[in-house]
Amino acid sequence: MRRTTANRAERLLRGPILWAGLAGLTAFALGPFIWMLLTSLKDHQELYATPLQYLPRHVTFENYVDAWTSPVTPFSRFFLNSLWVCSVTMVATTAVSVLAGYAIARFRFAGRDTLLLIFLATQMFPSVLLIAPLLTQWRAFDLIDTYQALIYSNFSFTVPFTVWMMVGYFSSIPRDLEESAMIDGCSQFGALCRVVLPLAAPGVAATAIFAFVVSWSELLFAISFTTQTDMRTLSAGLLYMVGQYEVQWGPLSAGVIMSTVPVAVLFTFLQRHLIHGLTAGAVKG
Amino acid sequence: MTATPATINGRLARPLLSWRMRMLLVGYAYLVPAALCLLATVVVPIVLAIKMSLYADVLYKPQDYRFIGLANYLRLARDPVFWLTLWNSVVWVFGSVIFQFILGFAAALLLHQSFRGRGLLRTLNLLPWIIPGVVVGLIWEWLYQPNYGLINDLLVKAGLMHDRVAWLSSPDLAMPAVVFTNVWRGIPFFAIMLLAGLQSIPTELYDAARVDGAGVLARFWHITVPLLRPIIVVATATRIIWTFNYADLIFVMTSGGPANATQITSTYTLLQAYSNLDFGYAGALSVVLLLVMLIFTAFYLRVTRGVDEVG
Repeated sequence: MRRTTANRAERLLRGPILWAGLAGLTAFALGPFIWMLLTSLKDHQELYATPLQYLPRHVTFENYVDAWTSPVTPFSRFFLNSLWVCSVTMVATTAVSVLAGYAIARFRFAGRDTLLLIFLATQMFPSVLLIAPLLTQWRAFDLIDTYQALIYSNFSFTVPFTVWMMVGYFSSIPRDLEESAMIDGCSQFGALCRVVLPLAAPGVAATAIFAFVVSWSELLFAISFTTQTDMRTLSAGLLYMVGQYEVQWGPLSAGVIMSTVPVAVLFTFLQRHLIHGLTAGAVKG
Repeated sequence: MTATPATINGRLARPLLSWRMRMLLVGYAYLVPAALCLLATVVVPIVLAIKMSLYADVLYKPQDYRFIGLANYLRLARDPVFWLTLWNSVVWVFGSVIFQFILGFAAALLLHQSFRGRGLLRTLNLLPWIIPGVVVGLIWEWLYQPNYGLINDLLVKAGLMHDRVAWLSSPDLAMPAVVFTNVWRGIPFFAIMLLAGLQSIPTELYDAARVDGAGVLARFWHITVPLLRPIIVVATATRIIWTFNYADLIFVMTSGGPANATQITSTYTLLQAYSNLDFGYAGALSVVLLLVMLIFTAFYLRVTRGVDEVG
């Protein structure tokens, strides 16, 4: 008798309860996005209708056009700023972390473990703490309202994590291949470029995308180190749209959707690698 | 013409440094760029923050700039808002992390089952976690909007509320509202960490337990929970530190208001540096943040080391 109730409980868990749980979970995760998407497709009248109108009756892309071409809050400019800052951050971070990750994975030098710990601890570092000193620093170098200030500041949070990721990837590649390449006359650097990097390519790509995605989300540096509207990144620009006048939810919701899509797409490529990198330190085997 | 014999000679001659030494030097050289990055963007700024905290340094009062010793810290100790922000941080951190953990665990268990379209559902459920903080803040500001927000509308229609509520401008509701948003955002983090843990548990254990007659709950309690313990500890500790320092969401949604009801220590630091331009005071607050972070990290490292020894 006990066995049959247990079986029934298990069947319930596998069937209806599983499906109800999954439906609830996914609705909760996606609901807010869908609401924002619906908002962005409504015209002004439908957007501020009472009682609330859930679905747009006349689907319009007006809000997207408004946001993209507005002279006060030039979304196209914010988009290009973000694209440039994040691309340069991505390339520089990847180069730096490939070298450092390789060194930590391959060379047994004094202080190696301490260095790894420092990289791990820096990942937890609050960016808020860095704002006042970095602002003073960039002011002294006359870098306020430049892309450089944003790119350099981004290193403070991209580099520690990407180095950690790269150490993991390089450690999983056997040494024999590069050693035989070096015996065949390849230099150390040549072996890294011609033998190790092609093998680590998926890891390097994941690292690069990660650097891009996290810089795309960066807000505090972007608002602190830029003063001109023209220099704002997407995150900073969205906040600026809020601050301008009575919040215009139409164009703003369009802006929100446009800033989400690129990272969401990139992330789907990254997902497996990022999860691997995140959990490498925590899961064994 | 002369270069070629020179290299040949160089190769034949005994190298100045042994092969081992040269490899070490190459290793150090590879570390230089990363070290420079961290030096310029983390180490020097920390030293600068400590120095700033000892000065009267308000950007628009350059004439008052002078060394004042620990006066900024004394001001901090006497500032009731600072103590309030510490308490608010505790509410913010534990409120967020506890619910993120519970719901994230549930999500991981659901997404671990086998069903059609599992890959797609896993990706979709990660969405709240990967989008920019500003975007999360704005989406929820719109949902909480008193007149046109969906939340008020649904609650009134469901008969749970009579009047519309201004969630983010009510002193009692603002903190629960931002915590709820942060819970929404953080569920996927715990879900993917715990999902990775679940996948590393050998299925034979469950099969053996089932043969022995262990029910669903018994299997969960005696296999899943103990084997996930290390990853639970690591994920929770990381999340606590991260949430304590996280300022974006509150900054976007309420800027710490109304009347400091949602002001946590990290947004207060941001406010002093960004809006008040009081770098001396912001420096002192930064040092406090740094100390809290170091204590947490030391604790975290001890705990994870303990976990390693047990596992």
